[in-house]
Parts: sequence; structure tokens; C-alpha cells
Amino acid sequence: MLSDKAKKEIEAALKKYPNKRSAVMDALRIAQHDRGGHLERSDMEDVAAMLEMNPVEVNAAAAFYTMYNIRKPVGKYHVQVCRNISCSLLGAEHIIKYMEKSLNIKTGETTPDNRFTLSTVECLGSCGTAPMMQINDDYFENLTEQKVDEIIKKLV
Amino acid sequence: MATIKINGKEITVEDNTLILDAARKAGYEIPTFCYQADLMGIGSCRMCLVEIEGQRKLQPSCITPVLHGMSINTDSSTVASARAGVLEFLLANHALDCPVCDKGGECELQDMVHKYGPRTGRHAEPKFKFHEKDYVLSQVIIKNSNRCVQCMKCVRVCREVVGRNVLGALGRGDHQEPTSFNRTFLDCDMDGNCIEVCPVGCFMRLPYRYKSRPWDLKGADTICPYCATGCRMVIEERDGQLLRARAQLGVGLNSETLCARGRFGCDFVNSAERITKPLIRHQAATWAEALASVKDGFSGKEGKHIGGVAAATLTNEELYLFQKLMRTVFGSPNIDSSSRWNSDAASAFIHAASMNEGGVSIFDCMEADTVLIIGSHISDENPVSEYIVRRISSNRRMNLIIASPRAMKLDSSANVKLRHLPAAEKAVLDAITLVINAGKLSEAEKLKAIKDSKMVDLLTAAGVGVDEITDIAKRLSASQSVAIVAGTEFLRFPDGTSGLALLKDVLKNLGKKVTVMPTLDRCNQRGAWEMGVHPSFGPGYATAEKGMDTEALLEAAMRGEIDALYVVGEDIISDYPDREFARTALSKVRFLVVQDIFMSETAKLAHVILPGASFSEKEGMFTNQEGRAQSIRKLLALPGKAKRDLDIIRAVGELFDGSFGPKNAVLVLDEIRQVNPMYSDVSLLFNNKKNSDNRLDNRAALVKCAAGVLPAAGEFASKAVSSRMEEHSFALVTGSHLFHLGRFSRKSETLLGLIKGATVEICEDDAARLGFVSGEKVKVKGKNHEVLATLKTSTGSKSRVAFIPESFEDAEVNRFFRRGEGVPRVSITRANQ
Ligand code: SF4
Ligand code: SF4
Ligand code: SF4
Ligand code: FES
Ligand code: FES
Repeated sequence: MLSDKAKKEIEAALKKYPNKRSAVMDALRIAQHDRGGHLERSDMEDVAAMLEMNPVEVNAAAAFYTMYNIRKPVGKYHVQVCRNISCSLLGAEHIIKYMEKSLNIKTGETTPDNRFTLSTVECLGSCGTAPMMQINDDYFENLTEQKVDEIIKKLV
Repeated sequence: MATIKINGKEITVEDNTLILDAARKAGYEIPTFCYQADLMGIGSCRMCLVEIEGQRKLQPSCITPVLHGMSINTDSSTVASARAGVLEFLLANHALDCPVCDKGGECELQDMVHKYGPRTGRHAEPKFKFHEKDYVLSQVIIKNSNRCVQCMKCVRVCREVVGRNVLGALGRGDHQEPTSFNRTFLDCDMDGNCIEVCPVGCFMRLPYRYKSRPWDLKGADTICPYCATGCRMVIEERDGQLLRARAQLGVGLNSETLCARGRFGCDFVNSAERITKPLIRHQAATWAEALASVKDGFSGKEGKHIGGVAAATLTNEELYLFQKLMRTVFGSPNIDSSSRWNSDAASAFIHAASMNEGGVSIFDCMEADTVLIIGSHISDENPVSEYIVRRISSNRRMNLIIASPRAMKLDSSANVKLRHLPAAEKAVLDAITLVINAGKLSEAEKLKAIKDSKMVDLLTAAGVGVDEITDIAKRLSASQSVAIVAGTEFLRFPDGTSGLALLKDVLKNLGKKVTVMPTLDRCNQRGAWEMGVHPSFGPGYATAEKGMDTEALLEAAMRGEIDALYVVGEDIISDYPDREFARTALSKVRFLVVQDIFMSETAKLAHVILPGASFSEKEGMFTNQEGRAQSIRKLLALPGKAKRDLDIIRAVGELFDGSFGPKNAVLVLDEIRQVNPMYSDVSLLFNNKKNSDNRLDNRAALVKCAAGVLPAAGEFASKAVSSRMEEHSFALVTGSHLFHLGRFSRKSETLLGLIKGATVEICEDDAARLGFVSGEKVKVKGKNHEVLATLKTSTGSKSRVAFIPESFEDAEVNRFFRRGEGVPRVSITRANQ
């Protein structure tokens, strides 16, 4: 169930769009935030009801983007390392491995204390500062081992 | 027009023709996966790439229109290697489990790879799998996503054609899986159109699972035996069992689509309950004995004490011969084809819908500026007609107006949806006519006219607002052409027919092109009337000596005046709106012969039972609601000692007149052509001809105008209900269910599996007011009868209207009705109260 607060936020968001269904991405973002980082079935159903869409359409929109985590709870910090071409050329593979080592989890996993979830994503549109990653809503760019250490230290 | 060159061959086509269509027209085959003429083009699979001179990249021909002067190459080596490349990628993750795939042998991917494919694949990575085991998606669908080619036809057909929109593509790229919301079990229309359009073994039929290989099936190209949409289908058998029914792309008005009844309901012919031998007083008998008994029963009886009822599910040939038998051999004008509505209602409807003026194509109707659908729950009653309306109305600017007490799926395509009280079609139409007529007056006069007139009464009777009616009237007035689609409610509540006839005339007088198309709920109802199985007209609506209809026959039987009654394929007791009356009356008939394929309630009272044939065991013609005469084909052998109905009717005739005939179906058709001018041109050949270019409107099959003029029918008493009722009280309406129609569907294992037991549908608000939830058991109680049913709620139906479908054995809805009492009131309460 969406919280009343999330419902209100979605209602407010609706005003920005020419029709209700256009707000689907925004509504899903709000819903995901509301749940603390992922989406459950009921969230998609609630969004569908509010936007007068069929649940499967909302499901399809959510499943298309890696930024929505359908039925996959994530830790407090969701680390998404880009592994697309520019980042790869500049060592994304290495950053991912280093990340796995530092957090002591494999890609796709969450630390036992529920603090970090590590995943890889496609191009985040920040190729000029590759390699890069996103943690929750923030970008971290021009990554090196040292930088990664600092970032993680701040978050632990 | 654009002149282009395809592989060096010059052709001229309309502007905006797709390269694909142009190439096909020029005789070149281009392989496709995602293209389908009736669906929105998405150009996603790239199978149809072609080379255009002067352009560096290959272009998808299914979404690229021709340009004047283009030179196109469809079979260069570049194109060939592109096709092979596309296929190599499609196979990268494909399971390649053809030996255990139900689609094997009729799979488009197999065929394409065989024809264009790479002989080896270079992908060394492990294959991506969506899931390990096939999963069941609904009672009729089993799914294996690992075989998907991502053409999205399933998603598009469900959205654009069926209008259910319960499928979506989850994920992206090669991980994109077309399935239901969160892969959950579907509660949908069960029509299986997603299965039919799927080129591979991804959406598969659950009832047909591992039953056969396509090359082991024998098929017959025929017509659906359920509603009067008249869908073309191929029924297929193996070892004498009908295993499936499927539609064919570009064939028939339905192309690849069917509804649940057509696609999954034909298994009734396999039923173990079929009657397989003649019975005399329910004891097995030989044909000779049974016929001798019939001879005894009818001998020496006067025509006026004899009657005949033949179902609107028989072929034209059978119906023609039946009325000929009754009229010429027995000298009886007492013939009817329905026990649900009276024959005057039928005459009035035929007149109001101008059926005697010949066939009207639904595709022509859909070219009108405004289409008004009234008296029909078309989404449930004629699903494939509904698909056509949805598909075409979404592609052009037009008004679609739906007037009905109950909400329906097609509402979402409508510009105006009017929710009126049951049985109030007349009030609705009269009110519209009044406003249209008032439109010719000045503003002040108009107000006065509307005030003076019975407008207020009409609005109250219809339970609608003046604004809604004015809106509809405006749209009609502003249109050059209007099509009215009029359904079976006009037969149940015939007072509406005068409203229909009046509106039609008023619009015509305003210079508009007006077409009326009836929608009917028996596969050959129109044929039955046009063959003259009606007590006041003969074949081709020719005037005939007036006789008794089913209702009058029952009344006469009640008085002990019916000596012999011959009933073919009709279950009067189950269908007549007053079950007890029908049963008592029939038990007083001195000699009752029933010819049927199942032991119906009526057959249980019969002195002699003659086992007839199902649609799959005989040849002949059905005329659909539009007036398209289409032939059915024999697939199966008759069970046991059963015989074809035409042979039985003729044998009965020969008992009294050795020359009675014609002696076979082809000769009967010849005679129909001579006797009935509407049918002078129909042919067994053209109507099963394959349309090569997706030309769905086979206009040659439409029947012609009748010679005689059908007289206007008289006025009928209004049976409208008032909206004022007590808290638990509802007006009861009935009709076909999406999964059930008539009596055959009750013997279909698959259809019975879709819905367990009777349902009663009311609108959400009423349910909320009374504290009911969808799915709970409720008691529906009328003056004469009560049933337990599962409550279903619908969004947007008229308040205070309860709907119980006709075809459930555990809710004999006709028990709620009493002769002459109109729409019954029922109360709905919790089952355990
Ligand atoms: S059966 Fe019909 S309604 Fe159901 S998913 Fe398939 S196409 Fe859609
Ligand atoms: S399931 Fe079938 S119809 Fe649907 S996208 Fe896949 S291959 Fe196409
Ligand atoms: S719409 Fe009517 S004719 Fe077509 S498949 Fe369904 S029941 Fe049969
Ligand atoms: S490739 Fe990593 S941001 Fe573009
Ligand atoms: S058929 Fe043209 S892209 Fe699929």
C-alpha cells in the first residue's frame, strides 16, 4: 500500500503532465522511494489505479528501466556501477571487482547489515567522467580505487 | 499514385502503400514476424529488411511507405545476409526445443530458419532463460517465454483488437518477456487471440497441450456455430475427436481472431452425452421403427393441429426443407425458429432493421460518420464484431455511441455511452428522434416543443438525462452517414422496433445515408428467417398464410389442440421465457418428435427422439447477421446411428410423399436459389475462397434484396421498468455470456472449465450500497423462482440492473419470467441470509 504522503505526491505530480498515464515514471519513482528503494506488486497496482492504467502497463514501464527494483529490496545505499562502453574502456570492470571486494558481496547482492546493494547498470549519460557510478540519487565520477575507498568510508 | 521498381519490375501503387504490401502485390515474398495488417506497425523484428537504391542502410519494409521513383531490392545478397543475421540473433537465446514444442511443424520461426536462416550459429555464450518450466497463464494458455521472438503481436492483439490490454512486455532487449502483470494467472476474455498470433510456441493452447502434431490433424474450413458474427474457422480432428478450432490470417471477416466460444467451445461435438440412436419413449429403436412411429403420430392429423419449431443453428438447406415439409406435406403454417421471442417481434425487427433489403457489411457500417450501437451487449454477445468495431473506430475519426443498461468493454472506444433502463430502447430512440426533429425549430420553439412533448416522460422511462440525449442527437444530426447496430434486446422488448424504424426514417428524410445492421445471437438466425421458418412469411420474406409461432403453439397445446409437434434442435423448455408454462404445455402435445444432438429438457418429454448431426458432421450454409451466406464443411463422422438433419427431415417427408425433396444439399441449395431471390447468387464456392490480400470483406457473399416488401409491424405494449424500487430490488435482464451462448456451450468441457456456476452481475455502486463483494454467493429471488449465484460487479452499469446469463444450467433464468409480465424484479441478498 502506498502511504498517504506518497499518494499526495503522486497527485501533485499528475499536474505536470498532459494526461495521467504520462506520469507513470514519476509515480513509480515516488512509490519506490516510499517503500525504501524497491517496488512491490501492490505498489504497481496502486499506481495503475491512480493513473487509470492497466497494472501490466505499469509493470512493463517499471521493468524496462534498471532504476526501478521490482520485488528486489535494496540496502540503504544502492550502488549502481556503470558498465557500458565508455566506462568499460576506462576500467569499469576493475571498479566493479574492487567494489565487490570492498563490500565483500557479489554484484546483485546486499550486505548482511542491509547497508549496501551492488548492481551494474547501462550508460548513465555521464561518459565524459567515466568510470562512474550512482549511489541512491547521487553520481560519483572519475572513479579510482582510492576514491571508492573514501566514498564507502563516508557511508559506513 | 507512386510508380516504383521492385527487383527491376515496375509497378504503380497508391501513395503511402508500405513497401511490404507493394512487394507482395508485385509477387515477391518478404518474410515478417512483427508485421500484421490489422495491428499498429512497430517495425521491431527487422525480418523484413529490404534494400532501397541510394540508401546506405537496409529499411524495414513493413513500416516504410513507398516514394515515387523508388527502386527496391528484396532479394539481393545483402538482404539475404541481413535476414540470416536477424535469425541468428533470434536463435541466440531460443530454446530450440522443437521436438517437445506444440508449435513444431507450424512454427514461423522454424519455417523462416529453414528458408532463410543461417546454417550454423556463432553464439557461444550460455543461453539466457526466462524460466525453466512452461507456466500456465490462464485456463487456456500455457506459456514458454524462452521461445519468444519479441514480435509483440500478442501484446498488440490483446490491446488493439480484443481491448482487454492485460499483456505487457516486461524487461528490455532480449530479456523482454511478453506476459501478464507480474506473470500472474489471467482473468481475461480467454479468446486465445494471443495464442493465434504468436508465430512460435510461446503462447500455447492449454487444452490442446501435447495432443497432436499439426501434420496428424485433418481440418475443415467452416463457420463458428455460436453467435451470428459468422467467424470463419478451421476445425481440426484426430482419431475422430475435434481437437481445436483456429482462425486464419486474412480469411473470413474475422481474419485471425475468434472469441472464447469459437476457439475453445467446439469440443461439445466430442461430448459423451451426444444422442447416438433413435429412441421411442426413451427406449432404443431402429431408424425404421422410429420413422414408422413418426408416420403414425402425424398420419391423419390436420395441418392446423400440427406445428414445427426448428432451431436457428441449423443450416439454410435444413431450414428450407423443414418449412417446405411443414407447409407442403403437413399443410401447416405453424412454424417458428425461436422459443425466446415471438414471431411478431421478429417481423418488426426484420422490418426496422431493413433486413429484407439485403445484406449489410459491418465494414460498410464502420465507414459511417456515426455508429450507434443499441440493444446489444456487443462485447459479450458478438465479440468478434466488437473487435472489428474497436479496431476500425480507433483508426478513424468518427462517433461511436453505445446505448445499453450494462457497461461493456467497448465503452472505452465510445465517444458517448448512454446507460438507460432495461427494456427502454424505445424511449431512448424516441427521445433522440424528438430532439432531432426539434433541431429544425428556432431556439424558443425548440424549448417549447421539448416542454410540451412527452420528452419528460421519455427521459423518465429511459432513466437518462436530457443532455445525454441532446448530445447524441447533435452528433447524429451533424453526420452525413449513420449506421445503427441493433441487437437482440429489440426482439426481447419489441416496442423498441418502432422507435428504431422511426429514427431510421427521420435520418433518411434529412438526407443522410442510413444503414442498419442487426446483431444476432444464433449462428443462423438470419438464415432461419430468410428460409421462411416463420409463421407469417416464407423464403425470402414472401407473404405466407399466417400460422402460429412457438408461443401460440404452446398456448394451443395448453388447450389440448396440438396433435403433433416436430422440434428440431430447439430446447423450448430451456429457452421459452416461462419455463413452467412451456413444460406443462409440451406435456399436453399428443405426439412430440424431437430431433437433437443432446438430451434437452424438451427431448425428455418427446415420444420419439431422432439423433441429428452437429455442425462438424454436415455440409450446408449459415447466413450471418450481416447477411453473408457462408458454407460449413463436414469434418467428422456421425456418432453412432445419428444422421444428418437434412436426411432426417427428408426421410420424414418421404414417409408421406415419396417425391419429397430435393434429395441432397446441393439440390436443395439450387431450389433455394430459385425460390428465394435474395439467394439467387449465393454459391458454395466463393464463400470459402481464400482472400490472398487480407480482403476481409467478401461482399459477394452478401444476400440480395428481397422481392416483396415487408409490411410494417404494429405497435407493441411497452414493458419498460421504472427506476423506483426498494433497496434490494433489481430489474433482471438476461442474454449471452462471453463464454456461453445457447445450449452447445454447456457441453463444452473447456468452456465449462472457464466459469463455474451461474453469475449475477450488478454495478459496483449497488454492491457497495448493499455491502456485497465481487465473488461472494448471493441469493437472487424473484416472484417465481430463486437461485444462488456468484456475484460479479461491473463498473459503469446502470444502477438497479441485475444480469444473469441465459446459458447456465444451475440458474434457469427463464424461471424468473412469467408470460406477459415484462421485466421481472428480483431481490439480491447474501446467500446465508
Ligand atoms: S486470451 Fe485474449 S484477453 Fe486474454 S491475454 Fe490473450 S488476447 Fe488478451
Ligand atoms: S509471445 Fe509470441 S506473439 Fe508474443 S512477442 Fe513473443 S513471439 Fe511474439
Ligand atoms: S464472435 Fe461469434 S461467430 Fe465469432 S468466434 Fe465468437 S461466437 Fe463464434
Ligand atoms: S558508459 Fe558509463 S556513463 Fe556512459
Ligand atoms: S516485420 Fe518488419 S520489422 Fe518486423
